[in-house]
Amino acid sequence: MGKQYEIPVGAQHISLLEPLHFKFTTGNEKIIDTAASVYYVHRGIEKACCTKFKFRQVSFVVGRVCGLCSISHTTAYSQVAEKLVKIEIPRRAKYLRMLVIELDRIHSHLLCLSHVAENSGFEALFMKTMQYREAFMEMLEAVCGNRVQFDYSIVGGVSRDLKPETARMILTGLKKFRPQLQELFHIYQNNWTLSLKNKGTGVITRKDALRLNVVGPFARATGLETDVRSQTEDLLPWKEAGFRIITEQTGDVYARNMVRLREVENSMEMISNVIDGLPESPIIQETKSFPDGEAVVRLEAPRGELFYYAKGNKTQVLERLKIKAPTFSNISAMVEGFRNNEYGSVPAIIASYDPCLSCTAR
Amino acid sequence: MKRIETTIGTVKKDIGNFYQFDKQHFIVMNAVDLGEKLEIQWFFSDYNSTGEVTAYCAQVNPGDEIPSLKSIIPSAWVAEAELADLMDIKIEDTARGFVLEPDSEPAPLRKKK
Amino acid sequence: MSTFLKTIGNLFKPPVTKRYPFEKTFLAENYRGMIGFNEEACIWCRRCEMACPPGAIVFSQAMDGKQTYHYNRAVCIFCEECIRSCPKAEAGALYQTGVPAPCALKEENINNGWADICSEAVRGREAYSAEKKRLAAQKAVVKEATGNQADESTAGKI
Repeated sequence: MGKQYEIPVGAQHISLLEPLHFKFTTGNEKIIDTAASVYYVHRGIEKACCTKFKFRQVSFVVGRVCGLCSISHTTAYSQVAEKLVKIEIPRRAKYLRMLVIELDRIHSHLLCLSHVAENSGFEALFMKTMQYREAFMEMLEAVCGNRVQFDYSIVGGVSRDLKPETARMILTGLKKFRPQLQELFHIYQNNWTLSLKNKGTGVITRKDALRLNVVGPFARATGLETDVRSQTEDLLPWKEAGFRIITEQTGDVYARNMVRLREVENSMEMISNVIDGLPESPIIQETKSFPDGEAVVRLEAPRGELFYYAKGNKTQVLERLKIKAPTFSNISAMVEGFRNNEYGSVPAIIASYDPCLSCTAR
Repeated sequence: MKRIETTIGTVKKDIGNFYQFDKQHFIVMNAVDLGEKLEIQWFFSDYNSTGEVTAYCAQVNPGDEIPSLKSIIPSAWVAEAELADLMDIKIEDTARGFVLEPDSEPAPLRKKK
Repeated sequence: MSTFLKTIGNLFKPPVTKRYPFEKTFLAENYRGMIGFNEEACIWCRRCEMACPPGAIVFSQAMDGKQTYHYNRAVCIFCEECIRSCPKAEAGALYQTGVPAPCALKEENINNGWADICSEAVRGREAYSAEKKRLAAQKAVVKEATGNQADESTAGKI
């Protein structure tokens, strides 16, 4: 085996997007063991939600948990609060929520793909993917009025309606993006330099994914069919919008790229279906009652299953709110995925996990 | 959500009988401060098409040691380490300091007496 | 070879980036910007203050009962919850200006000037309600006194 070295990566490192610390034990460039530390940005959001803010205001607080999946957090919280106050939201609001979640998924996946390219040493592809992503940021700004903090789902519905000109803008944007997506498919599939860093690295098997409870594109790249969108039909009508589950078999970085690209394609179909079949109804259901009892909600965020648990006590302030972010479930598999890889592949593997530490630490 | 009441002594056996790694997905472990007692919850969901959530709930006193599920569910260590810090509960062979710094205020999620 | 030709071709293409300060970037039509306030339409119900998640709206009260609206653009998260809660939103008491907020000054910092305004507002409102209570109590005492004295037909002395 030779001599073993311990190499720390993080909490500040050029290949990391967020504060995350790995300690690799390597022997001859091969990684033998890994330890992870993730809680560098604990902000006490759960505590704030249960003490300082009224239950209607909490949906804006949880939107600040994460910048990339802000809409998933606000929607999941709104759904759990709607269960506690026992209201059913109008159909149009459901469709509009789905529209923004899918737009958000596209921009989040493109961001992750671009970082995989950058960390694999392909700077030009990073720029190109980010350039295409910009169109979706503009669409989100047109729908929600802000680029990052959407604040779109509120308890009882959504905050603003979709204007016909915005819908037209989205449809033309999607039409323009379709050939660009094919171009990205071509590069991510066939580029030789990218394949050296992506194919066969960071492999997680289906059995490991099951054993370690992996979620999201990370799990679907191993062939494990787990997607909350295929399971919960009552809160948001995913299947009506044309959702289909996407899996790959190999479980390496390349498979994760492919899952993300194909999900972007599926999301585009769903967006155009939602806009074409947008039902007419009010967008908000008012209520005067206070949250009572306990409820759970699962929602598929771009990185995987998002889980909310809330307990009310008939006052304005919640008794307990528990947020389980997707990356939280993936930590143990993230540590496992490095084993027997070259140390030089680590940046690409980290980026392909798409870790969101501000979600995890809250 | 399906709630199953259990006790601290039998929870490991119950979950061991219930949990099959290719049928159930372990979501997270949670604790709620009920005032006098704490309620510990373990959430599972099925991999099938309905994805029903099952919650195993056990009421404990604040000083009790909670059995660890690491031998049944290898990925449970993250949730256990987080709860041990934030709720100030003892969990079998779980060290403190995963979430909070040693000099920070202990047990932020517990209610103030 | 095709890659080489593509590279040569790219030399003659226009840049994909925008020359930002000279050329405007995309700003949505219904962009969420600062909140505007119209004093004439306001009915001083303070619902916006109660609804605001970060506490960017505070009403202070003078001793004569007149309320003043304070808004901090640096604390505001532009969620429009105040506008949704406003009963006079249609009359234009609170409205979305659509103007992005400029950088905050030190006086608007949540730990400096804004904290002073908030504590001053709370103190002013408490003082006003205490004063109102005192006046009401005094009035009740006076009324009782006048009521008692009316029997002795000496009303009007106090």
